[in-house]
Amino acid sequence: MKPLFVIMSFLLSLSTRSQELFSQTEPASNRAVGSIGFRLDNSIMDEANTTKINYHLIPEIMLGISKKLMVSGGIFFSNRSEVFRAEGGSIYTKYRFLSNDAVQKHFRMAGFGRISYNNSDIHQEEISMYGHNTGVEFGIVATQLLRKVAISSSVAFLNATDNGGNNKFVYGQKRSQAINYTFSAGKLMLPKAYKDYRQTNLNLMVEFISQVNTGSGKYYMDIAPSAQMIFDSQVRVDVGYRKELSRTLSRTAPNGFFVRLEYNFFNAF
Amino acid sequence: MRNIFLLLAISISMVAKAQVTKVSLQASGLTCSMCSNAINKALKSLDFVDKVEADIKNYTFEILFKEASNVDFNKIRRKVEDAGFSVSGFVATIYFDNVHIRANQPVTIDNNALLFTESKDLSLNGVKQVKLLDKGFVSSKEYKKNAVGDVSNNAGLYHVRL
Repeated sequence: MKPLFVIMSFLLSLSTRSQELFSQTEPASNRAVGSIGFRLDNSIMDEANTTKINYHLIPEIMLGISKKLMVSGGIFFSNRSEVFRAEGGSIYTKYRFLSNDAVQKHFRMAGFGRISYNNSDIHQEEISMYGHNTGVEFGIVATQLLRKVAISSSVAFLNATDNGGNNKFVYGQKRSQAINYTFSAGKLMLPKAYKDYRQTNLNLMVEFISQVNTGSGKYYMDIAPSAQMIFDSQVRVDVGYRKELSRTLSRTAPNGFFVRLEYNFFNAF
Repeated sequence: MRNIFLLLAISISMVAKAQVTKVSLQASGLTCSMCSNAINKALKSLDFVDKVEADIKNYTFEILFKEASNVDFNKIRRKVEDAGFSVSGFVATIYFDNVHIRANQPVTIDNNALLFTESKDLSLNGVKQVKLLDKGFVSSKEYKKNAVGDVSNNAGLYHVRL
């Protein structure tokens, strides 16, 4: 917990203005009504004890339904089973239920849920509804924006069931549930002053992602620093690295790079 | 019952020789340019809006209107909220052609019924700036301080101050 505290204090001490489009977690803010976003998530994870690289590709479509509600759907592709193939998909929804806005700041809270299907083999105790397990996830997230700095934290409950293709959840019913905790902090570094929508934005962020299995009590804790660029106020590119800090849960490929590409169309429907 | 009163107030309100030429609004709850761009594009999608000039640094938008169009303040506010943010300041620039307003009586300008909170007879001529005081047009902090009651979305009676 010590590095978390140090980085958090550091970011807060720098605090002048902010950014909250995190790479590994979603903020409490929602999408603009009538906007469509296309996202391409790439994870290049180093499989432990082998020379294999696990590549996960998740194309996603995101829709702003109302000012409080957004829905997204994605398809999971990976090369884990020797060939690169589609393994499943998920539907995600987020509802913003609290919003306190002031000039250059806000505090917001949202509830979210995800339903996932996956037909790959279950190979680790870690439960992930984003490309590994079949099941559900729901939780709440709170985000504070303070000029150039944003911090966000979430808690979610996960329940895994057997994967498709007769791939059983092999660790027993008791260990099929977990709680995820996340903490994210980001800072807008560039531009120093906004003049034009075409200016490239640079955000730096660090995120902590932790899971505790409610059955076994085993856990993991990851850190994920990343850099994000926004071009033309419309195109977003995130590049980061996810690194395991500590764990007792079994995991196959906890460390690796991720690249997210996103394009947004406003007033699309 | 409240709506009937509002409708009554509007129907008896004087239709003034005046026109809204510009609205300057400040948005709150954002910092990033992508957020500002979402508001910018949402405002541009309104049929009576001609041009939007964004001052990204100050989170303000100057909205210019098409000629002879009906400017709807609530539709403007709703666009900002639909983009995911709030309006924290809303000032309409209005051209008045020798308009006399009696104290506590609403006046209709471009289909918007305005109630001046000055509580005295006003004689307006030329370009004036009018600030909206209702919920959704000022910050929640300022709204509590103003204590002018809620604007009715349908009836469209706005409390304003010169």
